[in-house]
Amino acid sequence: MSDRTLPDYDLQKAVHKNNVIGLWRLMTGFRLTYLGATLALGISALSKTGTYMLLRYFVDGYFGSDGATSLPVIYIALGFIGLAGLEGGFTFLSGRLAARTSEGITRRLRNYLFDHIQHLTFTYHSGMQTGELIQRCTSDVDAIRRFFAEQAIGMGRIILLFIVNFTALMLLNVRLALFSIVLIPIIVVVSVIMFKKMSKIYEQYQEQDAVLSTILQENLSGVRVVKAFARQEYEKNKFERDNMEKYLRGKRLMFINALFWPGSDLICGAQMMIGYVMGAMMAIRGEITPGTFLAYMGLIVWIIFPMRNLGRLIVHLSTGQVSFGRVTEIIKQTREPLDQGRTFDQPVRGEIRFENVEFAYEKDCPVLSEISFTVKPGQVVALLGSTGSGKTSLVNLLPRFYDYTAGRVYLDGVELNSIARRYLRQQIGIVEQEPFLFSRSIRENITYGVGREVSQAEVETAARAAAVHDVICTFPEGYKTLVGERGVTLSGGQKQRVAIARALLKNPRILILDDSTSSVDTETEAEIREALQTLMRERTTFIIAHRIQSIMDADLVLVMDGGKIVQKGTHETLMREENGMYRKIFEIQTRIEDELEKEIAGVGH
Amino acid sequence: MSDIDTFEEEEFQTRFSGKVFRRIMGLLKPHWKTVVGFLITIAVVSALDSVFTYLTKQVFDLAIVPKDLGMLRRIAIQYGSLLVIQAAMVFLFIYMVALLGERIRYDLRQKMFNHLQDLSLSYYSRTPVGWIMSRVTSDSERVADLMTWGLLDSTWAVVNIITAMAFMFVINWQLALIVLGILPFLLWIAIEFRKRILKQFRDVRKYNSKITGSYNENITGVRVVKALGREKENLREFSGLTGEMYRAGYRAAWLSALFLPSVQMISAVAIGAVVWYTGAQNGLLGMTIGSVHAFVSYITFMMWPIQDLARVFAEIQHAIASAERIFSLVDAVPDVVDRPQAIDPGSIHGDIEFDHVYFSYEDEKPVLSDFTLKIRRGETIALVGPTGGGKSTIVNLMCRFYEPKKGVIRIGGQDYTGLSLHAIQSRIGMVLQTPYLFSGTIRDNIRYGRLNATNEEVEAAARLAGAEVFIKNLEKGYDEPVGEGGNLLSVGQKQLISLARAVLARPEIFIMDEATSSVDTLTEALIQKGMEKLMEGRTSFIIAHRLSTIKRADRILVIEDGSIAEIGTHSELLRQRGKYYKLYTKQFRHEMSQALNPFDVDEKSNGHKKAGDDLLPALGD
Repeated sequence: MSDRTLPDYDLQKAVHKNNVIGLWRLMTGFRLTYLGATLALGISALSKTGTYMLLRYFVDGYFGSDGATSLPVIYIALGFIGLAGLEGGFTFLSGRLAARTSEGITRRLRNYLFDHIQHLTFTYHSGMQTGELIQRCTSDVDAIRRFFAEQAIGMGRIILLFIVNFTALMLLNVRLALFSIVLIPIIVVVSVIMFKKMSKIYEQYQEQDAVLSTILQENLSGVRVVKAFARQEYEKNKFERDNMEKYLRGKRLMFINALFWPGSDLICGAQMMIGYVMGAMMAIRGEITPGTFLAYMGLIVWIIFPMRNLGRLIVHLSTGQVSFGRVTEIIKQTREPLDQGRTFDQPVRGEIRFENVEFAYEKDCPVLSEISFTVKPGQVVALLGSTGSGKTSLVNLLPRFYDYTAGRVYLDGVELNSIARRYLRQQIGIVEQEPFLFSRSIRENITYGVGREVSQAEVETAARAAAVHDVICTFPEGYKTLVGERGVTLSGGQKQRVAIARALLKNPRILILDDSTSSVDTETEAEIREALQTLMRERTTFIIAHRIQSIMDADLVLVMDGGKIVQKGTHETLMREENGMYRKIFEIQTRIEDELEKEIAGVGH
Repeated sequence: MSDIDTFEEEEFQTRFSGKVFRRIMGLLKPHWKTVVGFLITIAVVSALDSVFTYLTKQVFDLAIVPKDLGMLRRIAIQYGSLLVIQAAMVFLFIYMVALLGERIRYDLRQKMFNHLQDLSLSYYSRTPVGWIMSRVTSDSERVADLMTWGLLDSTWAVVNIITAMAFMFVINWQLALIVLGILPFLLWIAIEFRKRILKQFRDVRKYNSKITGSYNENITGVRVVKALGREKENLREFSGLTGEMYRAGYRAAWLSALFLPSVQMISAVAIGAVVWYTGAQNGLLGMTIGSVHAFVSYITFMMWPIQDLARVFAEIQHAIASAERIFSLVDAVPDVVDRPQAIDPGSIHGDIEFDHVYFSYEDEKPVLSDFTLKIRRGETIALVGPTGGGKSTIVNLMCRFYEPKKGVIRIGGQDYTGLSLHAIQSRIGMVLQTPYLFSGTIRDNIRYGRLNATNEEVEAAARLAGAEVFIKNLEKGYDEPVGEGGNLLSVGQKQLISLARAVLARPEIFIMDEATSSVDTLTEALIQKGMEKLMEGRTSFIIAHRLSTIKRADRILVIEDGSIAEIGTHSELLRQRGKYYKLYTKQFRHEMSQALNPFDVDEKSNGHKKAGDDLLPALGD
């Protein structure tokens, strides 16, 4: 039960077109254990067979006509117990080894997927639905676990039981043995067909279950709408329809189940009858001893009944393979190398130069082109432009979230694409418009990614500077309060200030800010602005600007449109450009100020 | 689906409660014929299992040993016909019990759903959606399983054990006594095992939902993870979690693997005892080969009923806890219900009066205190003020989602608690701040406002609400699906649809909670126009955030700390230079900087009517 380290294996090597080979490779490091599980199953099957052989010996010895008893009965009794101990012990051992294999493989797979996903590029993430990814990491991984824990080993068990018991039957009597398996092919075929059909119907049943869940979920989330329009009866009817559909599908599923089990019972029963009658006749004719017949009756059960489970296993084996295929889709993506490239002992100074930079998500479709400008360390660059003008794409190049496709970017004179991503990202702090917080404590959110032990005093200093300390103190458990569903829900402004505190602790040389706020409350706006001012001190800062203040204070304003810089300069120089876009913005502002005064004057005093 | 998975199930430690158990069994009453039917068939199936073993004993003792082929034929025929009878019985019981199970699931779900529709908003505000979902989905399954398969399995097991014991006593009472002595021990071991296994599987489920949660956060927050270089630390944490999962899963697996061998081992001791006792006695206790075979078979296969009984016993407590939660939902009493003599006056288009109204949620501090207000029919009231001041509460009371704790609300001079809920709510049109749509097409969603509206009426409503432009631009137009919760549409589009929905409902009172989240300017203008249309001639309450809306109101109420801080028209309030003045200038500057958003400038430079041309004149008039 120790937390032993998992066998090391790069799962990317397990990717193979053929899922069976892939699954085999996935077992690397666990194959011996799994082999052990299979062997233990074999021994356990042998012990079971041994029990029936011992029974035969006992019956023939004590009840037989010759009455030739060789062993005292106490040994036979102990023999039964011993064999049962062997059988049970090895069954248990097999279960343990199989569990170690399946749980171990699954854990390695889970860890790998988790790490892999956080190393995949943004190009991959933006093209992939979160729900779909999670589905693969959970349901599909669990299907793979079941493949190893139940299906593959279950198949092995059935096959071993068959081989061992059939061999024993052959040893007892060849003719009888052959008669005992005449209907087996039919049992297998019928069970495969039926289980295929059942799993299809089961899927339909599950689909309807999902539909019903969605309806319920929507009804609960939209309860105010339902009530506001007094649509209770309508909703009841709607739910009733789909509820009934689920009932009907369940009925169909159950009907086929109700057919399969007694149906297969009959076939298995017929096979048993054939064997029993044959065996009994041979025993009457004296071709076999009563003890042999007795043993035979025990053995045949273990050949016939497991066979009808074969169908279920065969059908499920294929779902395991499909799941593995879906998981490999993720695994085979290439990671973004974090440490490849140059690193430096000291932090960067923060001088940035763009030279004719171009960037395209897809070939021949540039979202940025002809981008050239220079920022000195500690300067503030404001980016101005409409949605889709390329502001975000531009700042995404700095931490190498994406790599530019043409031109050059220099950081302190070093080509950006040659700097290792991890080092680079350590130099850059990002505060987004609506920052993502994790459902951990506030403290953990602030220290997230700092990568060192942080004292409470330090956390509080950062929170004070970010103007969020007082807010945190009003929460029930202060800094230990959980964020999200299980704790407090933070407003957009509060989230932003937590992100500012986080960035302050990280102490980066370069800063990327989205300074808009969705909050209407202007008092927090002032607080946020103040916090931002603290944060920007002595750092090269890129601001995606929504506020006049940040633009006026900027050392460089880039007005962007259609992926290009259309105007460049400071507030003063840009105001001098008569027909520039920048000037128009400010003309509107003054107009609004005039309007406000007029408005207030208009209502009188 | 994943929503339910991630919802962590709370631990419960309920003791076996007879009352709840009786109530569960009460649910079976209407189906008693099916219950009796499947209980009889399963009893027959179970008894036949023991008979088969007895018949094989007879094969030995009456056919093989005396070498009587005729007897063999007779027994074989009996055996064969019983097999067919048993198969028919198996079909019947599976069909009956499964059908009953589905039926009970259906009934429980419908019962809960229907009751949920009648519960008041207060229930929803204190009960998480995930909790309710689990009741309707997994708890109903568990209870139905107990009532059907649980009942069936335990009946089968009990009958099987009893008949097997009976046959053993018939064959040899001394040996049967040995088996009977071991039986309780066997059962006890099995139940203890099952309980532990069940607990392990609950742990596995718990860790599983944690793992799902971790994936979810790391994927949705991948930008932050990358930006802050948290990859290593995250993997370390996650590996700790999968380690816990590994241990729980491993333990559950090997406990399960240990279960059957242990039971088998005890059975083997029983067989050993039988063999030894038989062999050690003179004359073998009168045992025959057939008797030995029968004893070995009975003992070996007793393992299965024992296992079934143990499973049912272990699960019964959880199922009862599930049932308790279901009953707590079904028993929840709605706070707001129709009074016995509630009437529907046919119209609620009259003056509205809040007369010294007090209100608080859940015994907390009062949200509204001594709130008095008279609204003339057709008047538009704008509610402004800080969050938590009581604006939403006024609206909630108006819709009668809640009722005043003290004081009276009158519509057309009559206390509105004298009217039926339907009379009020079916005549109110409401647009929420975060508009909610149901999956289906746009047409379906608009029609939600009036179910019997024709397509023409639906489209006319969309036109009036200003939603038509964007709908026409969609590939399938009105038949475009909106996705779960309307998620395929933007917030602005959802709001336009919900406006159209309210228009179609032809309400007598219109209530709107304006969205604070930014909507692009074009959509914003459309929403404004749609609202205007809706407010025409209707008494309207607007929780307002935009200046243009506020200014258009007949009266503006500044709500603060549960009471009216200021009241009057726009100009009156501005002149007061009080709270409204502050709020107004703040908001003015805010909208100004919004208008400074380069997006607007872009639009303008492209020749669109925008901020400068549109917003300002609106403010000026």
